[in-house]
Amino acid sequence: MTSPGDAAPVKPPPSFSPGVPRVASKSRYPNQRRDSSPALDADLVDSRIRSPTPPLTATTAELPIRSASPRALSFRSSTPQLARSSLGSPVEGRFDGAEEIRSLIIRSFAPVVGVYASADTDELVRQKGFAGGFWELIRPFGENVPGKLVIRDSVGSSRGWEDYGVRFVNLASNSPPPTNSSSGRNPSLAQVEEVLEKQLGTTDDPLGGSMRPRDFLNFPTTSPLYKVFLRHLLSISSATPHETFRHPVASVIAISSRNTAPLETLRQLYADTSNGPRRLPDWCHSEYLRYYVLIHDEDRDDIAESTKLYDQMKRHFGLHCHLLRLRSNQCVVTDDDSVQVPECEWLSPTERLSGGAEPLVDLDNNGLYLFDSDIMAIKAFIRELVAQSVIPFMENRVAVWNDQVASRRRGISGRFMSMSRRWAGFGTGSRSSLTSGGASGNYDVAHGYYRPDTPEALLRKMADFAFMLRDWKLSASTYELLRSDYANDKAWKYHAGAYEMCAVSMLLNPAAMGTKVKLDGIDQMFDTACYSYLTRCSDTPNALRCLTLAMELLKSRGGSAVESAARWAMRAMDLGLVGSIGQGLFSERVSACYAARSPVSGMKWGSRRRKAGMWSVFAADMWLRLGKPSLASAALEEAERLYADVLDGDGGFPMPEMQTFVDNLRHAVKVEYLEARGLDTRDEAATAEALGTEETSEKLDRRMNRKSLISNPLDSGGLGPAQGTRDDDNAANDDFERA
Amino acid sequence: MSYYFTILSPTDVPLFNIAFGTSKSGGDGIARFRFPDTAQYMNQFIIHSSLDIVEEAQWMNGNMYLKHIDTYPPASAYISAFLTPSGARFLLLHQPPQLASNSGQGAGGSGSMGGSMSGSLLLGSAGGSSRASASSIANNPTSPQTEEAVRQFMTEVYENYVKTVMSPFYRQGMEIKSPVFRGRVTAAGRKWL
Repeated sequence: MTSPGDAAPVKPPPSFSPGVPRVASKSRYPNQRRDSSPALDADLVDSRIRSPTPPLTATTAELPIRSASPRALSFRSSTPQLARSSLGSPVEGRFDGAEEIRSLIIRSFAPVVGVYASADTDELVRQKGFAGGFWELIRPFGENVPGKLVIRDSVGSSRGWEDYGVRFVNLASNSPPPTNSSSGRNPSLAQVEEVLEKQLGTTDDPLGGSMRPRDFLNFPTTSPLYKVFLRHLLSISSATPHETFRHPVASVIAISSRNTAPLETLRQLYADTSNGPRRLPDWCHSEYLRYYVLIHDEDRDDIAESTKLYDQMKRHFGLHCHLLRLRSNQCVVTDDDSVQVPECEWLSPTERLSGGAEPLVDLDNNGLYLFDSDIMAIKAFIRELVAQSVIPFMENRVAVWNDQVASRRRGISGRFMSMSRRWAGFGTGSRSSLTSGGASGNYDVAHGYYRPDTPEALLRKMADFAFMLRDWKLSASTYELLRSDYANDKAWKYHAGAYEMCAVSMLLNPAAMGTKVKLDGIDQMFDTACYSYLTRCSDTPNALRCLTLAMELLKSRGGSAVESAARWAMRAMDLGLVGSIGQGLFSERVSACYAARSPVSGMKWGSRRRKAGMWSVFAADMWLRLGKPSLASAALEEAERLYADVLDGDGGFPMPEMQTFVDNLRHAVKVEYLEARGLDTRDEAATAEALGTEETSEKLDRRMNRKSLISNPLDSGGLGPAQGTRDDDNAANDDFERA
Repeated sequence: MSYYFTILSPTDVPLFNIAFGTSKSGGDGIARFRFPDTAQYMNQFIIHSSLDIVEEAQWMNGNMYLKHIDTYPPASAYISAFLTPSGARFLLLHQPPQLASNSGQGAGGSGSMGGSMSGSLLLGSAGGSSRASASSIANNPTSPQTEEAVRQFMTEVYENYVKTVMSPFYRQGMEIKSPVFRGRVTAAGRKWL
């Protein structure tokens, strides 16, 4: 690295080689963004905001018909297949259930960009109302880079991604996390639970059954609560030695036009991050991209001055520079071109808890607004940063490391080397030498990490880069290469991480559709990873992340993989990794996993409707015990839907004890629901009865027809009670509707 | 080991239910499931849900005895199935006793509904006897010995079932109430399981 005492003002860090990728990059990113995506996004936001009212009446009005008509169900049961067929294009199918989760997972592994701004910059931004300074200002915009980003993978084929993003972290306050993450593992999971609690508290009160998204009628979608859970679970992790996803890939160094000694300040900022107080921990690779930003104050300063300074910066630092023109006045709602600052999507649980701002409810109180021109400027800045600097830099690094480190290992001689090394270890015969020195000797046992310049660490970093660039084929093969190294060195956390990510990349890779054999291998890998995380490192958040990823990705594979998906979810519940709310959520997920299994074409069998229904009933029971009747009723409704085509026409269970249990559950849910809304239960019951009778007469007709078709003598026995419950159900629904 | 045996008609209506415990290696033949007595519906839920697998397995396999087909991991309940030519299905849920060493984990994990409730259910005597029989069929629900024992049990029950069903007073689809049949099933359970 450059030494700080150099006379030259600030050298551009040697870590990038300007030229090759960047020159090409201009032409490589044609302005071909499709306009459908923003529209869809707007739609999503829209539905998120207004979700409380519309779905309720819609769903409840449809309910009796829905639960009783198997034809509609068979149509619905074919949706997982559709989802699978569009698996190659995660972006297109972003809004049906499975793909949405998949996209969420992919987006959670985004490159991290550090932000380090000078004092005058932060001062300028604070005037605009952002207490956190420059970092807070640009953070929400980094999460979704506008337009399509084209990424070239290791074999040279390009692919455009609409949903790429980066995470900005504040380098100025980055010191505490490492100690936190190792000691406070259960707290972080407890925090996730707390976030869920809070989310429930805010959304549960106003209107109960609103937890389901709008397209509930078409798809068995995941509940928003689960997405909140997943998002927070995936953003728990802070920078740790064993994986480099949270290590900064680049850092933005910002000064403002108010600065009196701009180049001097830039030099100082650079020195701070490279070997000053803001240096990254020892286990982070210190060669990362530096990006220099000059913020021009449109309201106070002269653009000519700033342009001159910017030209000077460009001369010094090359092309990784940007002139960002912002207004320094604070924007208020009443201004003409005020635009609300979007919410951060990826907050860690700690931030969410301390932040307090609740996106769904406090829309108006959240008073951060920006001028339209500022937003345009920031978006353009971020797009340029990501498209022309960060991604080419990462591509370049991957190519270089692949060439210099990985190919050496992959070749014949590399294999032989590692093999002979292993044998030499056994040859000496002493176990202690194996453990202390490790097979390679690169693992620092005392501190528990590899130095960043060892081949093991570099390979891991390369694999992580490839993963973040969504080149899952390369990352999978690299993780595979690493697994045995880590095992030899007994670097268990690394070991677990490599197994986990290897399996995840294999599942994400759309080309390698799983055969049965492959799935077994993947199960094995998850098993090893989970065991290493839990037993050898007692790292519960990572273990839970591993199991959750396993479940979600296997589920999105469909077919026989959903069985193991459900098994991983049960495993997570069994190991006690999730809290009480998590139990409910995971039960619903197990149900969703089984529901995703579609029957053999043309046959009645092969699906897992009964299992799915059973888990939905259990979820309802859990929600009820947690005092969340609205969630319970949603789960019950789902159960009814799932059971509808395995039970005979009247929806009664053949087994008496099941029937009584479900009846009791239904009744309890209804009573609690009404009580939670502060209504007089007796009155409601009376009116409900009145309302119910109307519908039953119609229903009776239907059932008569049905019965004459089936003519099963045993049905008459089950008819009585089932009829009663159906009435209850209708009654409850009618109440919903009136609310 | 606790057992729950059900005969289901082709339309999934239960014709016969019995719960019993192991009589081998000092067992007293009383079922002790991992659910409290108030949650016996769990057995029916598990059996019912395994019908999904039975429906699939019956087309993949030419035998009448389908062996162990399904597991419900949270309560470690194992299901074995047997098909009769008339379409009735014999389903046997077997659940190994919770080991004393296991109970700590189960209570700590408290993952499933079954798991959380089971800690209180563990009886001292059951724990002791199960320890002694660690190598017997009771604790290895998927071992070949268990498969064989279940097969013997199923075959014997099937013979008795055929005799019962051929009774002139029995109509197809009726619940089997014959005390003789119940006695025979109990005897078969005592003999083989």
